[in-house]
Amino acid sequence: MAKLLPVATMVFAMLLSIEPVPIAGYAAVAPAFTLMAAYHWTVYRPDLLSPLMLFAIGTLQDLLTGELPGVTALLLLLAYAIVVTHRSRFVSPPFPFVWTGFTLLIWGAMLLSWILHSLLAAELLDLRSSIFRAVLTISGFPIATFLLGRIQRALMTRRG
Amino acid sequence: MVRLSPVRRATIQRIAFTLLLLLSVLMIAVSKTDQMVLASLRISVMDAAAPTLEILSRPAGLLGSVMRQGSDFFAAYRENARLAKENSELLQWQQTALSLASENAQLRELLKLTPEPAGSYVTARVIANSGGTDVRSLIVSAGREHGVARGQAAITGEGLVGRVTEVGNRAARVLLITDLNSRVPVTVAGSHLRAVLMGNNSERPNLRNAEAGATIKIGDRIVTLGQGGVFPPGLPVGVVTGFDDGLPQVEPYAELSGVGYLRLVDYGLGEALPNPPAPGPRNGKRPDRALSQAIHR
Repeated sequence: MAKLLPVATMVFAMLLSIEPVPIAGYAAVAPAFTLMAAYHWTVYRPDLLSPLMLFAIGTLQDLLTGELPGVTALLLLLAYAIVVTHRSRFVSPPFPFVWTGFTLLIWGAMLLSWILHSLLAAELLDLRSSIFRAVLTISGFPIATFLLGRIQRALMTRRG
Repeated sequence: MVRLSPVRRATIQRIAFTLLLLLSVLMIAVSKTDQMVLASLRISVMDAAAPTLEILSRPAGLLGSVMRQGSDFFAAYRENARLAKENSELLQWQQTALSLASENAQLRELLKLTPEPAGSYVTARVIANSGGTDVRSLIVSAGREHGVARGQAAITGEGLVGRVTEVGNRAARVLLITDLNSRVPVTVAGSHLRAVLMGNNSERPNLRNAEAGATIKIGDRIVTLGQGGVFPPGLPVGVVTGFDDGLPQVEPYAELSGVGYLRLVDYGLGEALPNPPAPGPRNGKRPDRALSQAIHR
């Protein structure tokens, strides 16, 4: 039951990211909640994530937002791969370390997305709102990871 | 369940991972080339998710109306003064419109002009916003069942917001005018200039493909040109506010994010426009029925 928590929170994060918030200008800079959740679970409980799950949620998000299907799935899978390979070195990573890793990941994801879209559009796209969005995502991560950690402790430590 | 050794399981995970990674890349490549399969898949997913999205978007809608009520409350005095001033200006415009409408009718009669196709509106709530990605589109909770069709214009009270690109049974996708793939044929109000409003994923779309020798100035009002009998002409789009690399930049009249409700314009099917609500008596000024009658002759 608790094993479903990562999936559930990631699906929730995905739905949250397409929520029509009635604040002017929000849409252009909305943080990437799905990536926040995916990163959290990859760092703290990678055993509960599977590539198929990441692929499915990423593709679903792309289909709902009108993004090219595969972009978010690709980003999630790459993030998973990068984090898992480096994570094995640390038993219990301290938070500043985790946050720094997330920062690097988000910058990388933003650049990759920008390059991809610029290539497909055959012109250099405006980076400003992407940068703003990256900054918001990075700043929002501590809160997200705190909430997820709380939920994780509440629902999962009973089973160990 | 067959128990696999950890090594075996890790290898299978790794293979699955690589396959899925390749599949993602493949999907990106294919989606750029084959649009039909992609579009129908997106529509099915949109239709399936629509009821859930509808429910989930209600808190945001509630928040929006609470915020609006809050700001209305605090600005009540100032707003009242502004509205009174606007009201007296509008009453003058009403007189102008009345005389123009009757002159218009007389001239049409004289020229034996065929009446323009009328349109009607479908009002739909926004239930999802592609927010934060490199795509600018919305999902609205109205679909084929409600008379929504591909290519229809989506507007708010201020101006054009976007265009319907995909229609399901229960929901439809509206591509905003600021999206990279958005192309709207427009003209400068009052001229015969043709241009295309192209989105560039920023808040100010560009005007391109204007005829050579065309002079576009800052302050020019941009309206739709109309296209294919589905997209109405004359809808307000925005105003030219500057130039970027020689290309005119347009600031849209409509507030494109934080949109709660959209009107989808069902144009050209020969149905009459719904009568606007007759203005109620305000400060003793009687409603003007002659105006609405003149418009809907």
